Amino acid sequence: MLDRLVARAAQLPAYGELRWHANHSSRIMMRKGVLLANGRSRDSGLSARLYHNGAFGFAAAPADDEASLAAVIATARDNAEFAGGHAASGGLSTAAGSGSYDYRSKRAPLSAEQRVEIVRRLDEAIRSRYPGLVNVDIALSSNASEKILANSDGAATYSFVPRAALVVSMSVAANDGIVELYDILGGFGEIEDQSFDEANLAPWLEDLHENLRRKAEGGQCEAGDHDVVLDSALAGILAHEAIGHTCEADLVLAGSVAGDHLGELVASEKITLGDYGGRGPDGKSSFAIHVDDEGTPCRDVAIIENGVLKNFLHNKRTAQMLGAEPAGNARAFSFQDEPLVRMRNTCIAKGNDKLSDMIGAIERGYYLKRSTNGQADATSEFMFGVNCGYEIRDGKLGRAIRDTTISGVAFDMLKTVTHVGDDFHWSAGGGWCGKKQVIAVGMGGPSIKCRVTLGGRG
Amino acid sequence: MSAPTDDFLDHILARAKDAGATAAQALSSRTRYFEIEFDHRSVDLVRSTENETTMITVFRDGKRGGATLNGRRPEEVEAAIAAAATAAEAGVADPANDIAEAPSLPPGDHGPLAQDRAAMRAQVDEFLASLPARHPLLRLRDCLYTFTSQETEFANSNGLRQRERRGGHGFRAMFMAKDGPLTTSFNAAGGRSFGPFASLYDAAGVGRLMAECERSLERRPVTGKFVGDVIVTPHCLTGLMPSIAGALSGPALLAGSSPFKDKRGERIASPLFSLDNAPRSADFVDGSDFDEFGVPTRDLPIIENGVLKDFYVGYFFSRKLGMAQTAGVRNSRVRPGETSLSDMIAGVKRGILFSRFSGGAPNDNLDFSGIAKNSFYIENGELRHALNETMVSGNFQQLLQDIHAVSKEVVNFGDCAYPFVAASGVTISSK
Repeated sequence: MLDRLVARAAQLPAYGELRWHANHSSRIMMRKGVLLANGRSRDSGLSARLYHNGAFGFAAAPADDEASLAAVIATARDNAEFAGGHAASGGLSTAAGSGSYDYRSKRAPLSAEQRVEIVRRLDEAIRSRYPGLVNVDIALSSNASEKILANSDGAATYSFVPRAALVVSMSVAANDGIVELYDILGGFGEIEDQSFDEANLAPWLEDLHENLRRKAEGGQCEAGDHDVVLDSALAGILAHEAIGHTCEADLVLAGSVAGDHLGELVASEKITLGDYGGRGPDGKSSFAIHVDDEGTPCRDVAIIENGVLKNFLHNKRTAQMLGAEPAGNARAFSFQDEPLVRMRNTCIAKGNDKLSDMIGAIERGYYLKRSTNGQADATSEFMFGVNCGYEIRDGKLGRAIRDTTISGVAFDMLKTVTHVGDDFHWSAGGGWCGKKQVIAVGMGGPSIKCRVTLGGRG
Repeated sequence: MSAPTDDFLDHILARAKDAGATAAQALSSRTRYFEIEFDHRSVDLVRSTENETTMITVFRDGKRGGATLNGRRPEEVEAAIAAAATAAEAGVADPANDIAEAPSLPPGDHGPLAQDRAAMRAQVDEFLASLPARHPLLRLRDCLYTFTSQETEFANSNGLRQRERRGGHGFRAMFMAKDGPLTTSFNAAGGRSFGPFASLYDAAGVGRLMAECERSLERRPVTGKFVGDVIVTPHCLTGLMPSIAGALSGPALLAGSSPFKDKRGERIASPLFSLDNAPRSADFVDGSDFDEFGVPTRDLPIIENGVLKDFYVGYFFSRKLGMAQTAGVRNSRVRPGETSLSDMIAGVKRGILFSRFSGGAPNDNLDFSGIAKNSFYIENGELRHALNETMVSGNFQQLLQDIHAVSKEVVNFGDCAYPFVAASGVTISSK
């Protein structure tokens, strides 16, 4: 297939990419011992994207034969001409990546029975160990993105990048209603590469249940501005939502405030934040990328260096418009999707502070342990949900809090950072980001002491 | 219909039986999609895609397994059938696992067959040409004018066959305003309809939101913290209603985590609030004639004058929970009220026009907290100023009870339709 795409790409009438792309996924979901999902899916096809007078034409079909390839190229060309853009000044970057990056598991695949058995035995163990639960949800899922890409500048690459996750959610009845808590394990690799056996899971479940028990006994947090310690498990979503999105060049072109602050001090000098190719600076992120979906070889991007805003994230087109060089941030979720400016492995660099010192430095505030969903904005105002946290009173952890949301204006909030931890954590299970298309991302960082706004009825 | 029925699904059912299925079903969707994407300067992408997705479910002695594939490459079809059969063999037996018996409907045909791309392009060009005069400070990003045609077919080994085609247009705009150093939040809105929109400004309230966006360059938070009123906009309800509907659904009833689980026949909302499930509605381009088990859909009230009449229970959960099947798909419609939006605003002593919720997913108890985005402060019956860094916190169970007005104005998004809803008792706070 790669040879066919390379040969065809060399004949394209203008800049263009050809991609064969398959998503392989599986999901087993059990609720209270009832198997609600038990299957797999595969979605694959061919796409072509051609550039013409400052605009793109794109076409895709669920096929891999020569006739379909010719048809999607013809349709993409027609669409590009129909787009009827204005001639753009300057050309697109011609950096062309290559190589084969195959991360499929070397272990023997688990059978369907073995996968269901992981979930079934885990469900039995939880319900026998913690009999008072109202509900138990267990989801075992995997997703692998397999791509073959060639472009008219000579890029030629293959990749297979898998991830797997185990999510356990428990609910109990508290005095004022149902209280729920979930946690995620897993990350890079296939299900066979994870440690989902009972011996490894027991302490994790115990910690999850203990946090749930304390949450059920806890209360609402006090709405308003507070000193907080964000656990390293939250640092990734902070890097992604608060800064990463604001610095995507397509959003900068749309008017994101980051465009007004390039070269300026936007954060505490303790903050260094980047977006990385490969599997991140330590090689342990939940996601891997070496050549992006425009064929650009991936380079690391320093977004904030010692508090100073240094760079944005580009695709070929935004780089052309803003006079920059793309570093491999153009990514597409499926064969039907065109590449967009996306983050890859985005993280805050670790510092030198101890978590215990951060908590000890707060007289009245919160220690926030786990996040749920998040959102960003052009103003750099961000939010993310928190489903596990504790009060801090006089430097010590107090009662647990119920679900809340934290928010802040990133370029203000990051200046309130006084401590950056010596710990580092990639978000477990890997993150997903929605922006026209959903896509896999890696997110990580250390624990951080800062000031944010909490929502709540307390 | 745009394409003849073939024997693809029958072939799958036969092969599933060969693979050991005691029963099987298959649901196939053939989709053609066309998109013009543009920002405030020009069109930057034209995209057209084709796909065919088939979901195969194999039942084996009360166990269930599934596989989904796209396209019809023979080796992949065979692999998917084998995977579904293997998954079923590995599954957990449950008496609720079975295929449906239901009447086969005449084929449904809804909406246009294909797009007129030249006409769509002309509308985009007109929209862009008029934008600088109408909204000189607006920046657009990822605006999409689309046409989707989808044929869906269902077959099961009980002989149940269903087929429908739906074609419709969609428009979605993402925008913000910028004036020198002043920047607003992003806002986004859009909807779908069978026919092309008369004007893209009229699609799902986009024009109103664009005007509000330009008024939002000067923003400030509320002062301190107070418990006040919220007028929840139709666009905000699109983000909030799935949490409420989820709590009224079969999965939540099975979990036992729904606060409404024992409340059928009881008042769970203000008498002003009525919610229908309306998948057969003639003005929902994204409605459905049948569900994923091939069972014909029907419209029915979920909450009527505040009283919980029924839950959203699909085929599997109806068998599992011993309840009647009410809904295999969800298309929510909140019935309009008798108050105009302007009168609703005039009736607020202190509160906000709550236009978008950006917050953590509400928990099982339906507590919520998040930022009020694209929202405005209301005091003594007047819209005062746009908000930033303002959070709202509350509980949806209580909010439903505290509704005191529902607007005449309704926005149809193509898969749901909502009015403005005014409620009291929400905690509104800033730093």
